[in-house]
Amino acid sequence: MTAPATTAPTSGFMRRLAVNRLRDRLATSDAGAVDRFLQRHSAPISEGRFTTFLWRGDADKVMVRHRVVGLPDPLPLRRLPDTDLWYVTIELPEGSRVEYQFEVVRGDVREEYLNDPLNPRLAHGPFGAQSVAAASGYVVPSWTLPDPETRPGSLDSISLRSKALRREQWFRLYRPARFRLLRRYPLLIVHDGDDYLNYAAAKTVLDNLIHRGEVAPLVAAFVPPGNRLVEYANYAPHARFIARELVPFLTEELPLIDLPDGRCLMGSSFGGVASLSTAVRYPSVFGSLLLESGSFVFTDIGAEHGGGPVFDPVVKFVNAYRARPKVVADRIFQTCGVYEPLITPNRSMVSTFRDTGMDVRYVEARDGHNWENWRDRLRDALTWIFPGEQKFVYE
Amino acid sequence: MTSTHLLGPQRFLTTAGAVVRGLGVDGPVATITAGWEERESDDAELDSVMNGRSRNLRLFGRMMDVLERDADVAAAALALRDAVDDLAHLYSLRLQHALDAVYAVRRRQGRADVLAAADADALEAVRRLDRWYLDQVRTLYGEAYASGATESSPLWAENRAEVTEQLASASVLAVAGGHVGMLLRTMQFFSVRPPAELPVVAWSAGAMAMTRMVVLFNDFAQTGAVAQVWDRGLARVERVIALPHARRRIHLDDRVRMEVFVRRFEGYACLLLDDGARVAVGPDGALPPGARVLRADGTLGVVEAAA
Repeated sequence: MTAPATTAPTSGFMRRLAVNRLRDRLATSDAGAVDRFLQRHSAPISEGRFTTFLWRGDADKVMVRHRVVGLPDPLPLRRLPDTDLWYVTIELPEGSRVEYQFEVVRGDVREEYLNDPLNPRLAHGPFGAQSVAAASGYVVPSWTLPDPETRPGSLDSISLRSKALRREQWFRLYRPARFRLLRRYPLLIVHDGDDYLNYAAAKTVLDNLIHRGEVAPLVAAFVPPGNRLVEYANYAPHARFIARELVPFLTEELPLIDLPDGRCLMGSSFGGVASLSTAVRYPSVFGSLLLESGSFVFTDIGAEHGGGPVFDPVVKFVNAYRARPKVVADRIFQTCGVYEPLITPNRSMVSTFRDTGMDVRYVEARDGHNWENWRDRLRDALTWIFPGEQKFVYE
Repeated sequence: MTSTHLLGPQRFLTTAGAVVRGLGVDGPVATITAGWEERESDDAELDSVMNGRSRNLRLFGRMMDVLERDADVAAAALALRDAVDDLAHLYSLRLQHALDAVYAVRRRQGRADVLAAADADALEAVRRLDRWYLDQVRTLYGEAYASGATESSPLWAENRAEVTEQLASASVLAVAGGHVGMLLRTMQFFSVRPPAELPVVAWSAGAMAMTRMVVLFNDFAQTGAVAQVWDRGLARVERVIALPHARRRIHLDDRVRMEVFVRRFEGYACLLLDDGARVAVGPDGALPPGARVLRADGTLGVVEAAA
């Protein structure tokens, strides 16, 4: 595959892509041209709507693995003639953010899950790190980064004996800066709590958005799962734990707004299913749901859903809900990445939710099924669900 | 004679000291910085602006102290606040729909007189909702006062007496900006009523608190950009909606939006209080010539000198 013989806008005029200019130069240049090229450019190279992935080294085949719906995966790279530099250029729309790795074949040896050695930018998740390609227009939001001016909230580990789950359930309790017993706080319960804290900078995000007055000071319970694929797939004991044990416990112990309006249950992927299924079982507990890339896989006919056995209970649950949709909260903030396979079921669920009369705000992002996508959507979500007091402050 | 001076934000252009000096009165300057909440007592800079004459009434600190030490007062205050919060949520929900209706009508085309009638009635529905909300707030306050929890508290009475005494001995009252909800709450908690003859200099949220109707607004807020009535202020200044930071917080160039805003608050002057604004309100409540206001058609204008 050759790079498109096209141009990219830079500094107000159109230029040919950097890799094409290099190819032209190689005909007359010395062997150090590739070294100088790589010193000048960070990888992958983002030029207007085009992104060029680069790999350097001996290989028989090099491929980008990315899981972006709509692009070939694996995406083969081509060797630049008479060099050890491999490249492929794709169109990546403005604002896109894609996580990727390389697969390299040398003889009979296939190496997989290789992060890009030319790209220092990594995203972390429970299954390890991945390289990040950010198209032009994407910037890491400032409110996801530690701000020395922000007053930090506190995070404490709390244990609760759960009869429903028949175990001691740990969770992390976030209290905002300047926490006062004389206030009443909204409550946010977060599925995959440790992952949100570790990979989606949830504490930093809460600290910053609360400090800036964009989100109301709130209490959050970050709850990690036990057996995630079982407990988050419409599991009655899990729902009972959240609605009948955790919420009453927190309401008793903390100055919380004791109304559905003051409570939000959130989760991503299977955590989205856990949030929705809990709300279906206990429809009067949560005023808001925050569903990020919910794994709302369903079938319109038959049982072939393509998700494997772990999705069987999910599909059964989502099919049942879609057959008889009902109000389970006042408001739903739903989000999904357009590059992930779950985009189609999520789009479909928007109208399912809306048709019940629930107030639904739906946001898509040019991103995939990953924690930094879910991190980047938190501002839109939380400012809508628990708006801060910006409107009250006139310094 | 009532003397009330409404100023723009003081962060970048400090005019409060000059205005106080311009009053030509000696003696202590009572200050209210309750809008700064926990930072209430970080007022060294303000004291410097007031030439070391400031005496902070410490309304926020006093209120917190009373609430922490008197469980009955705390229960009554928290119940009132919860009820007002619930009410505000309901009002906000209804308001969004009512204003959506106004803009939806304005987007329609058809017979002019029919559209005008629909527009007028849609706006009246918004005004009716604003009035309903304020009436409900007053009812809730009435219930809270009727409970007598505060008046029967010696701690509250002691604090209130001190505040009243400080106000009585002050030659000027200066009210700073900050969180207008907290500012109003603390003033209401101690029933602060500056004597009519006491000159008042107030800026930003402080200026809002001096008006009869406090309207919250921020067109650039991440969510909830609808202007909403919040509460009644001290009503030192009648028939004025104070709009501090107008340039930073309002889409002033959105004529339709501005016209709806002005018509919604018909009978009130929409007073813009940006950096450097100094508005001396006369004893009759009239705004002085040159004060910047929104005109009826949604454009910016100034109060003209009387012919």
